[in-house]
Amino acid sequence: MSLKYGVLGLLKGEPLHGYEVKNRFEGMLGGTWDVNIGQIYTTLQRLERDGLVRPVGSRGDRGKQLYELSPDGEKALDRWLAQPDSGPQQLHEDIYVKLLLATRIANGDLKGMLARQKRAYLQRLRDLNRLEEGARRDGRIDLARLVRGALLHTEADLKWMDELSSERFGTEGTKTE
Amino acid sequence: MDGRTFFRTFRDGGDKNGMTELVRLTDVTKVYQGGITGALNGVSVAVEKGEFTAIMGPSGSGKSTMLNLVAGVDRPTSGSVVVGGTELGQLGETGLARFRRDHIGFVFQFFYLLPNLTALENVLIPAQLKGNPASGRARELMERLGIIDIASRYAARLSGGQQQRVAIARALINKPTLLLADEPTGALDTRSGEQVMELLSELHRDGQTILLVTHDAKLATRHAARVLSVIDGKIVDDARLESPELAASDVIRVRGEEASR
Repeated sequence: MSLKYGVLGLLKGEPLHGYEVKNRFEGMLGGTWDVNIGQIYTTLQRLERDGLVRPVGSRGDRGKQLYELSPDGEKALDRWLAQPDSGPQQLHEDIYVKLLLATRIANGDLKGMLARQKRAYLQRLRDLNRLEEGARRDGRIDLARLVRGALLHTEADLKWMDELSSERFGTEGTKTE
Repeated sequence: MDGRTFFRTFRDGGDKNGMTELVRLTDVTKVYQGGITGALNGVSVAVEKGEFTAIMGPSGSGKSTMLNLVAGVDRPTSGSVVVGGTELGQLGETGLARFRRDHIGFVFQFFYLLPNLTALENVLIPAQLKGNPASGRARELMERLGIIDIASRYAARLSGGQQQRVAIARALINKPTLLLADEPTGALDTRSGEQVMELLSELHRDGQTILLVTHDAKLATRHAARVLSVIDGKIVDDARLESPELAASDVIRVRGEEASR
């Protein structure tokens, strides 16, 4: 989903060929998202099929094809940028399901689980801090902002662990229906 | 034991790992009459020389009490507090006052500067109590902490960030063995708070042992490699954090499930 709009956004500035799109995309994300060139070509082909990008000129050196944004592509990009992220909150990490299971399973060692998870979050905070410092040192304020968002999320995760740790847990209150 | 004996003990105190234990709390309890807030309930922990340790926990958990016991401004109900080889429980009030003056630098949330004295005069107070003029060192410290330009201004006229830097200079004037900081950024805006923490980090890089009480996990993990978690008067976790070489993708994945290497 956002790879598609990421490609459109990069083409807004100037026409690019597939490898340039890949390199700029990865550069923009500062190594936090690796894409393979196959995904980029597939994305460009779909965007061309949907009329959102179009080829510029003919294939050049080693079959490189430049693409540019079409007026429809520009509109689609602007709409996407203006649209706030809504819909369900994405909870990707295993801890959410582990927590539910440990609450149900007798001897689920919930306390130990929370303590270990808390320590992992502390280490993550430290790693994120160093990443943020690195981004600022490199003059990548945009990336530093992204890392800052991750830092604040991790801080919230940590608070959640503390809150859970101070509760008294049992297997009660876990009705299935 | 007087201050000189303390220092000798401290210097000779190296263990076989080449680390020097600076602080040891053994089964320390602290009971406050009329309430349980801030009480300690069987705390045992050791801190090595040169460590930067953060103590985290909710308010009333006892983290500030730990700091006060290490500083010798409060005494435990039971258990022992040893700092630099000196059992603080064996010191009388005069000995304890001398211990604090010679070996402890304390930085507080609300600075506690004397408002009618200048910044420089505030910095010099602990040195004067020791009978040591130290104005050269005071100026050197103030230069280093970026407050030399405000040396002759009254403390009451300084911003929060400036006041805290003056307080840090005051804490360092007698070259303390141990620097204790209780929520030193708690009364500061984010920017001044970060500057104060950067200063503490620099001091740590130069070898200063620091014990920091904070509720800010971002600051704690950024500057301290060890985080003690205190809940209900007990240390529930003692995390030693690592600083490995990491690629950005080891720390953050944006839409990681779509990534392929």
